[in-house]
Amino acid sequence: MTLADGAALVDVAFAACTVLARAGETAVLCGGSAAAYYVPDLYQSLDIDFVVEVGAAPHVVDRALATLGYARVTEGYYRHATLRYALAFPIGPLAIGREFVTSWRTDRRADLLLHVYTPTDVVRDRFLHYWAWGDRTALDVALAVARTHAAEVDLDAFAAWTRRELAADASYDPSRIGRFLSSLQ
Amino acid sequence: MRRDDLRPAVFGTATRDRVLIRLALSENGLHVRELARQIQTSPNAVHRVVIALERAGVVVSRPVGTTRIVLLNRRWYGAVELRALLERLASAYPEVDARARTFRERPRRIGKPL
Repeated sequence: MTLADGAALVDVAFAACTVLARAGETAVLCGGSAAAYYVPDLYQSLDIDFVVEVGAAPHVVDRALATLGYARVTEGYYRHATLRYALAFPIGPLAIGREFVTSWRTDRRADLLLHVYTPTDVVRDRFLHYWAWGDRTALDVALAVARTHAAEVDLDAFAAWTRRELAADASYDPSRIGRFLSSLQ
Repeated sequence: MRRDDLRPAVFGTATRDRVLIRLALSENGLHVRELARQIQTSPNAVHRVVIALERAGVVVSRPVGTTRIVLLNRRWYGAVELRALLERLASAYPEVDARARTFRERPRRIGKPL
């Protein structure tokens, strides 16, 4: 499989996920790049983050990504000679705050596939950046995904999750939940 | 750091233990040089530990000027339990705890005499 010189984030993400799947590895697009997948006009990312479901042997990942022209630079980080997007593999498991992510969405494009966080999980993930570190960009991205994919984002599940996080770590500022939800209206 | 220290390395190495314990005692994080000074080891050793812990998601770092501030990652799925364990372990490292207590993290007005 080859990637065109002008390949976009989504092209690289589909290709990488597919070659890894063919090598027997389930890699899920997460973090800011999953947000960029859902709101490409509003948010861009140059790192494409995947978490491999079960820790994959590095040589398996190396070999699969080499077919796309990606080479390992450091542990869990791959670059392409001409494309500006890097592939990053943070250590799993997939988790948002205290909760593990055990299901995701799988999109298909011709014979390619992409495992990716659901819109609800992207909203949780980006909101948590804002909640934990006060990152306003992450808040804006969470709001953008929640608005753009309103039909797919489960706000009741989101609110229930914030309550569970708050119960475990009372140092989180509960007023930020209200700010997020009121900004959506 | 003494080479004849008999305390067990709970997280694999003595440096790793001390880095984590010292970070648990910090509200705002520390830069690598200060972290190394606080636990009395080399900045290079601390840097290596921080890179490994950052990749595991246990700590995060953010650039401030020309340096990086390192802190425990409160977004990590085991953050609450890890902090509780580290605060407990800190009692076994009174020298780390003592240095943390004398390290000023609160703001101080520019030009204010010591």
